[in-house]
Amino acid sequence: MDKQPKPGSRGSKLVTIPTFGRAKHIDPWWGLVALVVASIAVLVTVRPDPFRNILLFVRDGVTVTIFITVTAFVAILVVGLLGALGRLSRNRIIHTVSTLYVELIRGIPLLVQLIWWYFAFPVVVQHVGEWLNVSALVNYRANAISTAIVGLVFCYGAYMTEIYRAGIQSIPKGQMEAARSLGMTYAQAMRHIILPQAIRVVLPPVGNEFIALLKDSSLVSVVAVADLTRRGREFMSTHFNPIEVWTMVALIYLVMTLFSGRLVAWMEKRYHPET
Amino acid sequence: MEGPVIRIENVHKHFGRVHALQGISLNVDKGEVVVIIGPSGSGKSTLLRCINRLEEYNSGRIVVDGIPLDSTQNINAVRQEVGIVFQSFNLFSHLTAMENLTLAQRIVRKRPREESQKIALDLFIKVGIPDKADSYPLQLSGGQQQRVAIARALAMNPKIMLFDEPTSALDPEMIAEVLNVMLVLAREGMTMVVISHEMGFARAAANRVVFIDEGQVVEESTPEDMFASSSNERTKLFLSKVLQI
Repeated sequence: MDKQPKPGSRGSKLVTIPTFGRAKHIDPWWGLVALVVASIAVLVTVRPDPFRNILLFVRDGVTVTIFITVTAFVAILVVGLLGALGRLSRNRIIHTVSTLYVELIRGIPLLVQLIWWYFAFPVVVQHVGEWLNVSALVNYRANAISTAIVGLVFCYGAYMTEIYRAGIQSIPKGQMEAARSLGMTYAQAMRHIILPQAIRVVLPPVGNEFIALLKDSSLVSVVAVADLTRRGREFMSTHFNPIEVWTMVALIYLVMTLFSGRLVAWMEKRYHPET
Repeated sequence: MEGPVIRIENVHKHFGRVHALQGISLNVDKGEVVVIIGPSGSGKSTLLRCINRLEEYNSGRIVVDGIPLDSTQNINAVRQEVGIVFQSFNLFSHLTAMENLTLAQRIVRKRPREESQKIALDLFIKVGIPDKADSYPLQLSGGQQQRVAIARALAMNPKIMLFDEPTSALDPEMIAEVLNVMLVLAREGMTMVVISHEMGFARAAANRVVFIDEGQVVEESTPEDMFASSSNERTKLFLSKVLQI
């Protein structure tokens, strides 16, 4: 890189595009991630009993938490997009259904929804099975992890719908008009013109949702999923050391959320450079 | 099939309680350049947007190049024949000037990438900005952006070009560069409907000037007759306001 200033050449340019100092400096907030990781390492080394034991015990719970969060989030991105397109649809029925979905889901606590999917939904399926005389439905049993994912997707999909909708609506109307006037269909205009621009707008709130989901995934511990939180509770019930267990669990969540936060910040920067 | 290439017959348009177009009729022949003038809120922009159905109308009939604007299929067909240039350019801000020109060629006209780029380069030369193909819209001046927008519309080989106040958002020194491109188009025989109060352009290029007020055609005539010797009171009042600038 040449560091020489170019006097005069700037002023004559019509617009100078602000670009972020890229790659050159490392985001200092990574330091916080490192700090939390280091404190876990210190605890594990200095007092392996109980900290190392806790860490080893909840390890598979971390895997479950990450698996549930990532799987659910991918589905949430899709549901949110469909929901937003539905909310913006001129078709009355589609619009009403998606609006109803958002309003109802947002009005019910996530914990209640998760419990409903795990305890009530299978019974509904069984009743329907009896009514239709389909044995596969009568014998339906809930799989804890997939039911939990469905519950998270349903709930977060509603919030994501609103984020996407706001993002799409923030793109000036003229962009769609220009695209349509060139003969693009609505779908083509959405895909090539509106959504690529909307993604930049919604990236920060979408990243926020991911972190919120990561934390809210701890609620699945009440519906028989052996995630990080549930594994922590299991360890505590045999060893009775709440301070150590819950400090460790909190630190592990913190590593995951802080790390995700940095990832989101990095993506925001990457998506913004040229315009 | 001869006859007018745009036929607008008794079109009405309501925005809620506002009766924006009150039974407007207008024909445009092939190769004709029609300049529409009129006070703000007179419905001229709405009329223009009706021609490629960016705006729906409540009653009446619009036929473009023999295709009535009545079904989704026909609307898309008409949009491929009609280019429109907006007051606020509406370039795709996440794409370079080149991509602005090639995207629709590729996905609507199904042209291969190389062919669409070649067409785009020729058009950049035509509108006088051969060196801006790789710039993003925000890196261009208003005049350059509008010329990219004109080139983008031309890349689809439209039979008709609509201009909705193409120079109203521009700084004075950039108006000429856009009008010159439009003048070239007019000389080449492009059918054009232009909303503009650039009287110089109207004199130089227009076959006909149409004065619209309150959703109706008040008067239409050659630019000379309209500007010099209109006998209509409303036209005279409007022109006196516009021309004194």
